[in-house]
Amino acid sequence: MAHKWGMVVDLDRCTGCEACVVACHAENNIPTAGEDQAARGRAKHWIRVERYWEGDFPNPRVRFQPVLCQQCDEAPCEPVCPTYASYHTPEGLNSQVYNRCIGTRFCANACPYNVRFFNFYNPEWDKPLQLQLNPDVSVRSVGVMEKCTFCVQRIKAAEIQAEAEKRELKDGEFTTACAQSCASKALIFGDLNDSTSEVARLASSNRGTKLLGELGTKPNVTYLERGTWEDANHG
Amino acid sequence: MRMLRGWRRGLLVVLVCACAWGVVGIVFPRRATRASGAAGYVTPGVFTPAHPSAFAAVKDFVDIHPEHPVQPIAYTHKVHLAKGLPCTFCHVGVDQGPEARIPGVTVCMSCHQSIATDRPEIKKIAAYQARGEEIPWVRVYNYSESAHVRFNHAPHIRAGVDCAACHSDLTKQTTAERKIDLNMGFCINCHTQKKVSIDCETCHY
Amino acid sequence: MERRDFIKISALSGVMATLEGCRSAEKQLIRFVPEEELIPGIATIKPSVCTVCSAGCGLLVRVMQGEAEVVRHGQQGLIKMGLAKKLEGNPQHPVNQGKLCARGQASLQLLYHPDRITHPIKRIGPRGSGEFQAISWDDALKEVSAHLGTLQASGSANSLAFLSRPLSGQRGELITKFLKTYGAPPPGWYQPFDEAVLRQANLLSFGHAALPTFDLASADYVICFGADFLGTWNSPVAQSIGYGEMRQGRPGRRAKLVQIEARMSQTGANADEWIACRPGMEGVLALGIAHIILAEKLAPQGAGSRPGPLIAGWQEGLPGYAPEAVEKQTGVSAVVIKRLAHELTQSGSAVAMIGGPPLAHTNGLFNALAVNALESLVDKQSVLSFTPQVGDAAPVQASLAALHGLSAQPPQMLLLYEANPVFSAPPSARVREALAKIPYIVSFGSFIDETSAQADLILPDHAALESWVDNVAESGSSRAVASLAPPAVLPLHDTRPMADVLLGLGRQLGGEVAKALPWATYDAMLRAAFVPLRTRPGSIDVKTDDDFWDAAQTQGGWWSSTSTTPPGAAVKRAPLSAASPEFAGAAADFPFYFLPYVSQSFGDGSLAHLPWLQELPDVLTSAMWSSWVEINPKTGDRLGIKQGDLVEIASQQGTVRAAAVLSPGIAPDMVAMPVGQGHENFTRFASGRGANPLSILAPLTEQETGSLAWAATRVKIARAGGPEQARLVLFAGGMSGFPHEEQPR
Repeated sequence: MAHKWGMVVDLDRCTGCEACVVACHAENNIPTAGEDQAARGRAKHWIRVERYWEGDFPNPRVRFQPVLCQQCDEAPCEPVCPTYASYHTPEGLNSQVYNRCIGTRFCANACPYNVRFFNFYNPEWDKPLQLQLNPDVSVRSVGVMEKCTFCVQRIKAAEIQAEAEKRELKDGEFTTACAQSCASKALIFGDLNDSTSEVARLASSNRGTKLLGELGTKPNVTYLERGTWEDANHG
Repeated sequence: MRMLRGWRRGLLVVLVCACAWGVVGIVFPRRATRASGAAGYVTPGVFTPAHPSAFAAVKDFVDIHPEHPVQPIAYTHKVHLAKGLPCTFCHVGVDQGPEARIPGVTVCMSCHQSIATDRPEIKKIAAYQARGEEIPWVRVYNYSESAHVRFNHAPHIRAGVDCAACHSDLTKQTTAERKIDLNMGFCINCHTQKKVSIDCETCHY
Repeated sequence: MERRDFIKISALSGVMATLEGCRSAEKQLIRFVPEEELIPGIATIKPSVCTVCSAGCGLLVRVMQGEAEVVRHGQQGLIKMGLAKKLEGNPQHPVNQGKLCARGQASLQLLYHPDRITHPIKRIGPRGSGEFQAISWDDALKEVSAHLGTLQASGSANSLAFLSRPLSGQRGELITKFLKTYGAPPPGWYQPFDEAVLRQANLLSFGHAALPTFDLASADYVICFGADFLGTWNSPVAQSIGYGEMRQGRPGRRAKLVQIEARMSQTGANADEWIACRPGMEGVLALGIAHIILAEKLAPQGAGSRPGPLIAGWQEGLPGYAPEAVEKQTGVSAVVIKRLAHELTQSGSAVAMIGGPPLAHTNGLFNALAVNALESLVDKQSVLSFTPQVGDAAPVQASLAALHGLSAQPPQMLLLYEANPVFSAPPSARVREALAKIPYIVSFGSFIDETSAQADLILPDHAALESWVDNVAESGSSRAVASLAPPAVLPLHDTRPMADVLLGLGRQLGGEVAKALPWATYDAMLRAAFVPLRTRPGSIDVKTDDDFWDAAQTQGGWWSSTSTTPPGAAVKRAPLSAASPEFAGAAADFPFYFLPYVSQSFGDGSLAHLPWLQELPDVLTSAMWSSWVEINPKTGDRLGIKQGDLVEIASQQGTVRAAAVLSPGIAPDMVAMPVGQGHENFTRFASGRGANPLSILAPLTEQETGSLAWAATRVKIARAGGPEQARLVLFAGGMSGFPHEEQPR
């Protein structure tokens, strides 16, 4: 059966530490916007941690929510792209093909999760910071849209390796950069079509919800609700 | 055309020169050092995917490349292959990863410290090594940056694709020549024939 | 126009265009022969050790071939070399088990930072002017050697000082030995947020002068007084791993987290119950809970009998800590205190911990002893333990003592390493004035910062990834952990490892110093220290020393077989009575408590120069590239301060200005600022950016340890301008007020 890549975000484990955010920057050659461009809303955090505040002192509450490309089955960003730069791969990923992109930005407009980032200018790295750039990942130039790819370079490398060794991919053999760094194991990545995989098991949890699911986007990221202490005692 | 006299002619000259300057400024912009941020830090350079000039950008987009670039050493594939040297002796890694390594001067000298040492080209190689310098080979095979192609040699080698399929018959070449037009159609044709994925993300990500 | 004129004009334009074009040709750079064999496109994974905080997590470095611009033998050129592309946690390492925090991930930028000092430099302008000139290593080392020799020969060996961030492992040993055999006083270990209070408390309560280790994966109830254990405190990665497990790692069993603090920290954001407590009164609250437990006999017989008596009144059942009295002092209701006491003792496995602001008061030690006593009362399953040590534990020393030494008796020569007290010490420490009195200052720093800018000579260290690194974990594991790794990449610049330089200087000096440090290079010294571990039961089982040394390098270190070191006996001493926290500044003039806090982005300020961290949205406010002050919205309303306004914060020591962020997570009588910005000179990314809260801290110290009471300053605040002046940058979405919506499945 073909792979179907998906992710589970356990909001009860997530501590909001943002290790995933920096790990993603390092892995995917994400340019640093700098103060001025960041002030214009152009910082590119392919995965971000949202913080929701409720209540007032002395009973404030904060909830953390990592948000990344949901790799939707019915992605609203795909039908609006005039050049098919945003399309759905056979393995369930929403892929951004940089060389097709002509920068209309309709996809970012259509995306309800705000996970698409446009290169409004050619990125620059003060030398020798560019020595850190990952050779397995494209360096995007001006006019091109980018977003989380579920570390497709890692997926491809693992698939090629498995093919070379004439075997199937094993669950947990590789993972995305964000999930790899996550200390509390809040991010779990894997093949939803593999019934023995951890992500498939967790995605069917009764704590599972989809972000903005009522829009019909059919995301492949499942969020597990944050618990309360009473839950544990009452099963 | 009506003849222009006096100040009008002068103005026209100035205007045309200004346009020429502007066009050239776009075509040949300079980027050496730049001051960055606070405390007068000057960066020794900036890395950017931007092309150094509009001309270079056009060249890259249209994928203009020389078919047979001139190399610093008159290497001949013909001679070395005839002597039975396998491709992977120099181009290490082609069956392990994405790149086929261009050998360093140490690889050449591993044989040529004793073989054909009197030839002028070999003497040149020895001189490079003595200076601690790598031979500045000119790249022959590459994709335009804007194509964002991530070609990986290893799966092709493992699938039994012959080097000559894309690099043409090297037993007839001296330095490498780009005889086959490696456009996307070429890749898609072979992939279709061999029933391998032609999904965009196979190569573009 | 006539044809001739047209041709003339075209020719003129054409010539000019061509001339323009000629000027922009780039010079061809020479390509050097590589110094290592690498296959392009194929990654090698090498072990390393993260040196960014004291946790000492194990790393795996992904190294791939790339081309770097370097200078070799005075010539600029390109070289193909192994480049570090990505850091991951080492799955074998007992502390972080394959995981890595945001700052650990960002530490990769230390290696390729554009403002690294690339070769030795000597001061040519006045001190602090930033005017330095290149000098060769030979000349630089000759100069330092000469100074050291002269000092020793003239009988002033005790006038050499070494100021460094606390270093575990052999680097600390090396510096200590060097100074001792040279005849100089011991090194001054300085860091702005030292843990002297907690170590002293743990020594008194549990017999271990060390940071605590928690097996959170086995806990059912965690009551935490102020420690940001999921963010920056102690061993955050190890603690986060345990936290994940205690939440969802055991089907049907989910632990409760209660966080007690005056300002919502990242950890507090994850708590099931967040309780606001008056600053400095956390110890009283802990004893209020203990009072109930003792009075209603909720704990087993003998629980708490060792650390308890360190608190005055314990044997009598803590009569001064009845719930109503505690409510008055702490602001936490008696009902809640009683409930916490019951919940703690009814849960299967409980732990109480303390860290951060509650220890940074004048009564910090009392607060720690109080919580330690509560911990021993409720922790039935040894959630708390201490990491077995390799070698001797470092002595407990408050950092300020190291600085006082410099001011009180200015040395003739100062060696600086990985410490920036000009930036991070309180103004009362007068570090700048102290440095001005020292005739000769040498820094091993990799960057110009406020302190190294005062140096006369800078001998730049390798980056950690270019060096032999080692570390002994003080906490975060039930095994003894001695991390070790060879360099992951070859040096990029003309730098040298500090340890090798020091060993070289020792050899030059001869005599006792050379005898005590007989190794030519640091790895030889490491080998001598590591090889004796072969006979201890642990992760490497081989027959020869050579095999052991090889295996240790490959694995990233050595760790012992699992064992736990439970809390030991308490020290016998006179019981400590409660002391109220003192604050600097009368409440009438300075109405707000001031809390500088260590943030996920900059640590203690030493990482502000990394662009990934500047751009990282702050965990609780989403601010980037900015300095801000957290103010309660009601306070903001009252003072006419709106979100993003420029606010002036004034203590008795000075003023700073920052953008206001209205936060419900802070008490109305408190304001908080993250530490890390406000550098006047620290690379292009951090210089002249924001404000430094440490620069207005009062000189109050913890009563017994002398540690800086950094939470004891009071301030007044006033609006000083609008958002255009404050320049607060928030990541899109900011601190959204919308509650998390639940979707139908």
